[in-house]
Amino acid sequence: MPYELIATLMFASMMLMLMTGQRVFGAIGFVAVVAALLLWGDRGGYDLGFAAAMKLMKWYPLLTLPMFIFMGYVLSESRIADDLYRMFHVWMGGLRGGLAIGTIGLMVLISAMNGLSVAGMAIGATIALPELLKRGYDKRMVTGVVQAGSSLGILVPPSVVLVLYAMIARQPVGQLWLAGVIPGLMMAVLFVVYIVVRCRVNPVLGPVLNEDERNLPRAEKLRLLRAGILPIVIFATMMVPFVNGWTSLVESSAIGALAAFMAAVLKGRMTREVFENSVRNTLGITCMFMWIILAALAFGAVFDGLGAVKAIEALFTEQLHLGPWTILILMQLSFIIMGTFLDDTAMLVIVAPLYVPLVGELGFDLIWYGILYTITTQIAYMTPPFGYNLFLMRAMAPPEIGLRDIYASITPFVLVMVLALALVMSFPGLATWLPGYVYGN
Amino acid sequence: MLGAVRGYVRAVDAVNYRIGRIVMYGIFVLMGILLWSSVSKTFFVPSLWTLELAQFAMVAYYVLGGPYAIQMGSNVRMDLLYGGWSLRRKAWADLITVLFLIFYLGVMLYGALGSTAYSLGYWGSEPLSFFAGLVTGSEEVGRMEQSPSAWRPYLWPIKAVMALGLFLMLLQCLSELGKDVLRLKGEAV
Amino acid sequence: QNKITWRMQTYAGAALAAEVIDPAIRMFNTIAGDRMEIELFYADQLVPTGELFQALQRGTIDAVQSDDDSMASPTEVTVFGGYFPFASRYSLDVPVLFNRYGLNEIWDEEYSKVGVKHVSAGAWDPCHFATKDPIRSLADLEGKRVFTFPTAGRFMSQFGVVPVSIPWEDVEVALQTGELDGIAWSGITEDYTVGWADVTNYFLTNNISGAWIGHFFANMERWNELPEDLQTLFRVCCEQSHYYRQHWYWGGEADLRVNGPKMELTSIPDEEWATVEAKAREFWDEIAQESETKARVVQIFKDYNALMESAGRPYRYG
Ligand code: NA
Ligand code: NA
Repeated sequence: MPYELIATLMFASMMLMLMTGQRVFGAIGFVAVVAALLLWGDRGGYDLGFAAAMKLMKWYPLLTLPMFIFMGYVLSESRIADDLYRMFHVWMGGLRGGLAIGTIGLMVLISAMNGLSVAGMAIGATIALPELLKRGYDKRMVTGVVQAGSSLGILVPPSVVLVLYAMIARQPVGQLWLAGVIPGLMMAVLFVVYIVVRCRVNPVLGPVLNEDERNLPRAEKLRLLRAGILPIVIFATMMVPFVNGWTSLVESSAIGALAAFMAAVLKGRMTREVFENSVRNTLGITCMFMWIILAALAFGAVFDGLGAVKAIEALFTEQLHLGPWTILILMQLSFIIMGTFLDDTAMLVIVAPLYVPLVGELGFDLIWYGILYTITTQIAYMTPPFGYNLFLMRAMAPPEIGLRDIYASITPFVLVMVLALALVMSFPGLATWLPGYVYGN
Repeated sequence: MLGAVRGYVRAVDAVNYRIGRIVMYGIFVLMGILLWSSVSKTFFVPSLWTLELAQFAMVAYYVLGGPYAIQMGSNVRMDLLYGGWSLRRKAWADLITVLFLIFYLGVMLYGALGSTAYSLGYWGSEPLSFFAGLVTGSEEVGRMEQSPSAWRPYLWPIKAVMALGLFLMLLQCLSELGKDVLRLKGEAV
Repeated sequence: QNKITWRMQTYAGAALAAEVIDPAIRMFNTIAGDRMEIELFYADQLVPTGELFQALQRGTIDAVQSDDDSMASPTEVTVFGGYFPFASRYSLDVPVLFNRYGLNEIWDEEYSKVGVKHVSAGAWDPCHFATKDPIRSLADLEGKRVFTFPTAGRFMSQFGVVPVSIPWEDVEVALQTGELDGIAWSGITEDYTVGWADVTNYFLTNNISGAWIGHFFANMERWNELPEDLQTLFRVCCEQSHYYRQHWYWGGEADLRVNGPKMELTSIPDEEWATVEAKAREFWDEIAQESETKARVVQIFKDYNALMESAGRPYRYG
C-alpha cells in the first residue's frame, strides 16, 4: 500500500475514533500503535509508542506546563483578581458599555499572568458575569465578552500554546511570546471597538453605571488603581529575568508560579480549599495535556516514518499546482473548520505536526505563522460544538445563561477574530516587529 | 461475578486515588527543583543535575498521576455526539472504546518493560522472561544504562516508574471497564 | 524480486544532514536502483537519540549514523566516540587510527558483542566553543552551561563548565531561552550551517579535539541478509560520506574563521591551554583504569600521538 494512502487511512480512522466520544489520548494512541505494529511490527514497531515517552521526557519546555496551569488556578481559585475587577468597574463604569470594556481590560491583565485561557474564563464567569448581569447588561454580549477575552490568555505572553508550538516548530519561545503581544493587544482593542459600536447603536445593551456606584471620592478611586500593581508585579517577576537571560524559560515559569502563590498567601486568600483545588486541578489538567501529547508524539513518529508531510506537500504543489499563499489560506480555512469540532489541545497536537513543517517548506516565517496558528486556535477554542469555554461556561455561568445564549454569544467575536487573523496575515509586521526589535534581528 | 467486579473497582480506585493524592504535591517538588536551579545559577555555579532531575520529576508526576486524573474525569473527549447520549448509551460506547485504550496502554507497557530491561543490561527480545529470570536467578543485571549527560544518572529507576505508571493506568482502565459493566447492570457507580 | 528498504536515522538535524549525509544516501539509492532504498530520518525523528542504540539492536531502525557517545552505546569504546579530549589533532588522524592502528578491529569486536554491525568510522569537525559571551581565559569557562558530548562534558566540568544534554534540534532555541550559554559541539562550519552562529557571538579558536569520531552502524541481522555487493555499495557510500566531510569541513573551517561575518574569534593563551591538555592526559589514564579494552585504545592514542610528535612538521608543530 502506498504511504500516502496509509497516512490518509490513519488520519481518517483517528477522526472516526474521536467521534465515538472516547478519551482523546486513547483514540490517538491506539491508531498510532496499531499503525506502528502493522507497518513495522516485526521490526520493533511495538517500541515506537514508548520511544515517544522518552522523547517527551526530553522536551524540557513542557516543564512550564504544570507551572502555568498552577498559576492560573491560584489566580482564579483565590479570587485575587476581585480587586482588579473593582478597579475597572469604578473607572470604566461611566461609559456606555464601560463594564464590558473593563472586563476586556481585566482579561488582558489576567492573560499576562497565566498561560492558558481557563483562568480568564473562570475569573470572568464567576466575578465579572454576575456583576454585569446585575447592572442590566445584555447577557449574550457579556457572555461573548468573557469567552473572547479569556481566549487572549494563549496569545498574550506567557502562553502555553506558543510553548507547545515552539516545540513543534523548533522556534524560540521568547520571540514567539513577544510576537503575540501586539496582535493580542490589537485583538483586545478590536473587541473594545465592537462593544463601543454596539452600545452606541443600541444603548440598552450596556447601560451606564449608577452615579452612586462610580462617584467614589477621588482618593478612593486612586487607591483602587493599586489593584493593577499586582498583575504587573507578577508579570514582571517572571518576564524580566527571562527576557534578560538571567533565568531560563522553565525557571521563569517556576518563579511565576511562586509569585502567584505568594501573592495569594500575602493577601490571605490561600485557604485550605483554594490550595486543595489548585493542586488537584493542576494535576488533572497537566495529565490530560501530557497523555494527549504523548499519544500524539507516537502518532507523529509513525507519520514521519511514512514521510507523510513530504507527500502532502507534493500533492499540493506538484499535483495541484497551488501557490504557497493559496495553500496557506486553505490550511487556515481547514484549520477553522476542523476547529469547530475539535478543541484547541487536539488541534495543537494533531494538526500542528502536520501543518507546521509544511508551512516551513513553503518558505513562510514560522514565528509569524505561530501567531496565525494561535489566533486560529483561539477560534477553534471558541466555536461550538466543541470547546472548553462552552463546557466551562455551562458549568460556571449564572443559571439565567443557557446553552443557546452561549452559542449565540460568540458569533460576533469569532468574526472579530477572523478579522484579526486577516490583519496579521496581511501585515506580518504586526507579529514580527516586536521580537525583531527586542532581539535585534 | 459482579461482586468480584465491584471489589476490583473499589480496590484499584482506592490504590490509584492514594497514589494520585501523594503525587499531586509533586508540583512543589518540580517547582523546588526549578527554583533551586535559578538560585544556584544566580548566586553559585549552575547545577549539573537540575534540568534532568526536573524532567524525571515531571515524568513521575504525569505518569503516576494519570490514573487519578482518569478518576477525576480530567481527560477530554470529543462530545459532539457523545455529549447528547443517554447514560446507558454512553456506558455501552465506553465499554467498547475503553478496550482500544487498554490495547494502547498494553503496547506502551510492553515497550516500557523492554526499555527497562535494556536499562538493566538485557539486550534480548524477551523482556518478560528476563524479569522472570531475575526473580529465579537465571538472569542477572548487566551493564546498566546511564543517561548520556555529564551527570550520568542510571536510567532504570525512571523507566521502572514509567512502567509502573503504565501498569497502574492499565488497572485503572480495567476498573473503568468494570464500572461500565456495573452501570449496564443497572447499578449506580 | 522485492525491493529491500532500510530505515536509517542520523544524529544530525535536517540542516546539517543536508551536507553530511543526504548526498551519500542519494548516491546509494541512485546506484541501488530497484534493488534497495534507504529512507533517511533526521535527529530524534523516529526515536529519540537516547533510544537510538536500543532501536538499532531491535531493528526498529536498520542503520544509524552517530558517534558512540551521544547514542550511549553499551560498549567499552563509547567514551572514545565523539570527542575524546585531545586524542586527535587533524581530521586525517581518525582514518589513520582506525585503518592503520587497529581501532577498526577493536570497534568491530566490541559492537559484535552487543549484536550490532560497525560498518565504518570517519572524522568530522574539531570541537570548539561557541558562546554568547567571550572566552579569553579558563576562568571565563566557569559556570557556562554548554551543550556538548557526554565525555567532553565530563572532562570539561573540572574547569567549571556545566554540560547540558538536550535534543540536538532544541539547541538553537535553548540558546535563546537561556537554557544554554554556549555549545562545545562542533567547528565553525557547523555553527554557520545549522544556525548556531546566529544565536552566539564568539568562537574560541582553541579546541578540545581536532576531529570528531563518528560511525555508520547497521542492525546485525539486516546486514547479514544483504547480498555482498549491496554491503560493499553501502560501505563505499559511507566512505564517500567521510570523504565529503573531509574537504567540506577542512575548507569551511579556514574560510569562515577568516571571512565569516557572524562570530568574533577569541583565544585562550597557549600556556594556559596547555594546562587543559595536561589534564587530558590525566583523564586518559583515568579512563584506561576502567577496563582492559579502554586501556588498549588509550595506549594506541598515546603511541600514535607520540609518533606524530616525533615526525614533526607538518604533522605536529611544537
Ligand atoms: Na498569557
Ligand atoms: Na471548537
